[in-house]
Amino acid sequence: MLVHQFLETNAELHSHREALVHLDDRVTYIELERGANRLANFLIDSGLKPGDRIAILLDSSINYVISYFAVLKGGGIVVALNTATTSRIIKNILSDCTPSAIIVHKQYAHFLTDIIDDLESVETLVIDGHFERLERKKNLRIESYCEIQLNGDTKRPSINISSDDTASIIYTSGTTGNPKGVTLTHSNLRANTDSIVEYLSLTYEDKVMAILPFFYSYGNSLLLTHIRVGGCLVIDSRFAYPNVVLEIMSREKATGFSGVPSTFAILMHKSKIHDYPWNHLRYLSQAGGPMSPALTLKIMEAIPHVKIFVMYGQTEASARLSYLEPDRLLEKIGSIGKGIPGVTLTVKDDKGNICPVGETGEIIARGDNIMKGYWNQPEETARVLKPDGLHTGDLAKTDEDGYLYIVSRKSDMIKSGAHRISPKEIEEILAEHEDIIESAVIGVPDEIMGENIKAVIILKDKSNATQRDILKHCRINLPVFKIPKIVEFRENLPKTPSGKIKKHVLVSEHIQQKERG
Amino acid sequence: MDIKTKIRTFVVDNFMMGMNPEELADKDSLLDKGIVDSTGVLELVGFLEETFEIQIEDEELIPDNLDSVDKIAAYVNKKQS
Repeated sequence: MLVHQFLETNAELHSHREALVHLDDRVTYIELERGANRLANFLIDSGLKPGDRIAILLDSSINYVISYFAVLKGGGIVVALNTATTSRIIKNILSDCTPSAIIVHKQYAHFLTDIIDDLESVETLVIDGHFERLERKKNLRIESYCEIQLNGDTKRPSINISSDDTASIIYTSGTTGNPKGVTLTHSNLRANTDSIVEYLSLTYEDKVMAILPFFYSYGNSLLLTHIRVGGCLVIDSRFAYPNVVLEIMSREKATGFSGVPSTFAILMHKSKIHDYPWNHLRYLSQAGGPMSPALTLKIMEAIPHVKIFVMYGQTEASARLSYLEPDRLLEKIGSIGKGIPGVTLTVKDDKGNICPVGETGEIIARGDNIMKGYWNQPEETARVLKPDGLHTGDLAKTDEDGYLYIVSRKSDMIKSGAHRISPKEIEEILAEHEDIIESAVIGVPDEIMGENIKAVIILKDKSNATQRDILKHCRINLPVFKIPKIVEFRENLPKTPSGKIKKHVLVSEHIQQKERG
Repeated sequence: MDIKTKIRTFVVDNFMMGMNPEELADKDSLLDKGIVDSTGVLELVGFLEETFEIQIEDEELIPDNLDSVDKIAAYVNKKQS
């Protein structure tokens, strides 16, 4: 089964059931499929060929979902981009995956203004909303999304592709700072979707409150699992105001809610979650980094009748690798559980031997959900995809029952909120500032966000640069979630004899400073 | 500096990432314009509590109070009166 057939099947089985709710708009399965068909037919008429990449620059919305399935129906590959971005990042990613078309919301079209002429592969631009300030380069077809939906052909297109064809490329921050395109096939996404549906026992009666962006793999898995079972997604990106989301969740009688640790920290500390009975809520799911046992216990106490699924995954695994059964949560608190159905997880030492119970090694994953590789990066692919499976870079140990406990991550990626951030990328931007000699960017613990970004900087002699100057430089060149929250100036950085910065020392010193107040 | 100017200056300096400040009208939604996210709201709350010496309760964290420069200014005025 191909991923867009999830939608097609339910447009037949549950044609008049609601598939999506977003603010005041509601769409049924049949309406959703017709919308996707209209856009797919337009893209095909515009020259879309199987295997072409189509970039989507839209927030989570009904139009995002229509666009996602339209690209797949046309045989294309979805490249959904983070909307918290810069022109520079978009240019970098699109130069790598060379899309033939971009579907963009007017709010984000300004990112393309200065770069569209350099993106030679792009032949078609679909704009959701009215945007005038885009110079029409030669041969670029610009079309209105609304126009397509008003006049498009609702007939289901017939395109011949197989389950081994690529369905999606999801860009993640690479450890080197360059984004890596995780290439996932229809079969990867289907395997992961079916496995998640099985352990969450999802049915067409489920209705998830979807606050996570669909362009990340976690959000994407919420989308696919619910469309797979004929369930409903209540889309709301306003989690900045948690009480608004809780009100909608209660009104819509959501059966599920998914978040990252910071989501639950905000809910527990900054919301009216305790004011609702949550009679309809069946489960909560948490992934996207380790959640403290204390916070887990707090949630259990606040809504004791609701099942809590602690999960672990990677974009490279289409999303999910393990989960902890809710009824063992107390007994195994702090664990990420075991491999999900169809996934085998082993902990191995540097020599490739399986570690005994209690000994730390790297998590190696096998399963049909493991990516095909990184787009255009055979060396990076070979570094993580080895004959024994995906080398996750995460270090863990197992207990006597085979439950996994993450010990640390091999890479120094920072996890802040729902984001995975490369320190290297920020260091490269800092290096462009004329007053900076050297910098080290680290993640430091934060009660709400999991980690905050801290930049430790050495300035040139006689520089008068202030923290404000540095942050201004970051604001111009980085999306908001990658801007350091803390900037510290120093005379020097702790280094190993070979000259490598000892980041763990900087992290420890930060924690000690905090403790001393 | 009056309340609205202080709030506007904070929003522009902290959340607008080199964008042209003229692109933000005082009535514009900070969320719809992609200017704040959940951490942004918490930072904004910290700024308001410190600068205007007010206490913001959890139930007051709603767009009606915080989602535009105009709304924040009206909310701060109400809290201070």
